[in-house]
Amino acid sequence: MSFLRLSGLRIDLGEFSLNGVSLDLEKGEYLGVIGPTGAGKTILLECIIGFYRPQSGRVWLEGTDITDLAPEKRRIGIVYQDYALLPHLNVFKNIAYGLRKAKIGREALEAKVRAMAEVLGIDRLLHRSPETLSGGEQQRTALARALVVEPRLLLMDEPLSALDAQTRAETRGLLREVVRGRGATVIHITHDLDDVWALADRVAVMRGGEVIQHGGLDQVFSRPASRFVADFVDTVFFEGTVQSCGQGLSAVSVNGLTLETLDQAVVGSRVRLALRPETVVVSRARPAGVSARNLIAARVEDIVPNGKTSQLILRSGETRFPALVTQGSLEDMEIQKDAEVFALVKAGCLRIVRENGLSR
Amino acid sequence: MRVGVFKGSLIFLSLLVTGLLILAVGSLFLVPEWAEVWADLSSPEMLFSLRLSISTACISASMVMVVAVPMGFALSRFRFWGQGLVRTVVDLPVAFPELVLGLCLLLLFGKNGFGDFLDSLGLSLVFSKQGVVAAQFFTALPYAVRIMKSTFDYINPRMEFVSRSLGYTLFETFLRVSLPLAKNGVLAALVISFARCLGTFGTVLILAGGSYMHTETLPITLYLNISYGNMGMALTSGILLVAVSFLAIFIFEKTETSI
Repeated sequence: MSFLRLSGLRIDLGEFSLNGVSLDLEKGEYLGVIGPTGAGKTILLECIIGFYRPQSGRVWLEGTDITDLAPEKRRIGIVYQDYALLPHLNVFKNIAYGLRKAKIGREALEAKVRAMAEVLGIDRLLHRSPETLSGGEQQRTALARALVVEPRLLLMDEPLSALDAQTRAETRGLLREVVRGRGATVIHITHDLDDVWALADRVAVMRGGEVIQHGGLDQVFSRPASRFVADFVDTVFFEGTVQSCGQGLSAVSVNGLTLETLDQAVVGSRVRLALRPETVVVSRARPAGVSARNLIAARVEDIVPNGKTSQLILRSGETRFPALVTQGSLEDMEIQKDAEVFALVKAGCLRIVRENGLSR
Repeated sequence: MRVGVFKGSLIFLSLLVTGLLILAVGSLFLVPEWAEVWADLSSPEMLFSLRLSISTACISASMVMVVAVPMGFALSRFRFWGQGLVRTVVDLPVAFPELVLGLCLLLLFGKNGFGDFLDSLGLSLVFSKQGVVAAQFFTALPYAVRIMKSTFDYINPRMEFVSRSLGYTLFETFLRVSLPLAKNGVLAALVISFARCLGTFGTVLILAGGSYMHTETLPITLYLNISYGNMGMALTSGILLVAVSFLAIFIFEKTETSI
């Protein structure tokens, strides 16, 4: 049995519900959970930790059924978006809160708190009241409080979403170093795909109280099981007809464009091709001697800046598709709206998604 | 211009009503002869009434808090069968006339099965000092439960969730997280309950009776003396009621700001 097993969790809290969630997570894995607001992500965490008891379904941790176990006996840690620090205790006492219950002796307790605070860079703030801390410092304190008791499983509910962009990037780095570095088993709810890319081994997409797709990052991002998932993870679909299949390549005709993919398909069948914007390479001049199988002449229809990157909306004939380029590349290549460019896509980056997997 | 007139009318109305209230309370202090007030203060009846009022209000308010804090927590945090009924029934006395509440309590604790049962335990609540406490308790309880429920509603339950995830039971979490964070609400509920207990008239009159020097609290003293035409004693008991209430609010304000 896997380290964490959720089987058929159902609960109806009126506004939020779970409608039969099943998931498996191995020890040391980091699962990112994404989905729109109201998808049931937080309720899922709160069922795992035991704040809500599912109306049906079971939660297994390390081979033991913990569905009916009180939260205080589960040894599962949680970090919330709003930190949930105890305002009547200072930073030291907040971090030490769980250790005091463990009754480990004063010196050991102090040593553990100080060591954890040092790792998270908040060792100078131990005497401070939580309300005097910045958002990033509060989140580090909440993380320290959860980690210092060495939980079997760590749950994080949008831990970075209340932080500004720079602090978010810093804290994400810290999570990678501290949480991933310790080999902790984690479920991390997020709205930010960058969190998933940077931290997670696996990803689960939730909607309407159900996990509609889960698996490795490549599996979910490159082969979304539904249009909803595709939209949510910024994957683009092209519809086309398979023209040929052989020698490890399939050629698919999409609105007059012929695109080659490594995936096999029946000649003449209608398929959908999934493409991720960050896999598209853009060039001003026609590139020669490149290995990419798909070379598409396109016009830049729009440029959407997004922090350090920009999304180019490219059009080739009737086909529109996005490409992600850095701000630096955009300036180096002097690409502006209506510029003529070439888009390169490797055959391995175009994935065939079966027609029957694309219901909304 | 119309906005100005509207705004001006609202402010005028607020000031007018406040002024009337100040005049009404002020007249309590301006009308009586102060020498007479001092004499009345040391009368055996007034001393008895003051002592009984303070002691019963202290006991009742403490009992109210012992019940209101857990009830407020339960109503705020748990979903249980009959929750709506509990909330409605507990709130009812807020809208009930005190006299009707007193009558209901008289019927419950009077000479019937339940009243006889309490009597057999040595707890006679009708026309007795214990009855004063019971009347004050049931009058003040709804206010305290409401304050405690809103106080706990205002506390982020995730703090309690985190505490439980760190190994503390629900009861330990209540003691270490919920209660310390609710201290201002507890204090507010205590002061309001005390003031409410002290000022309870109708319920006390019906359940405990307005017996001279027996179940005579300050509001009863005021009522009895008005009935006899003894304005001096009535005014003195009114002044005492206002003074004790002000003192309670003052202590509350001081304690709240120092927390």
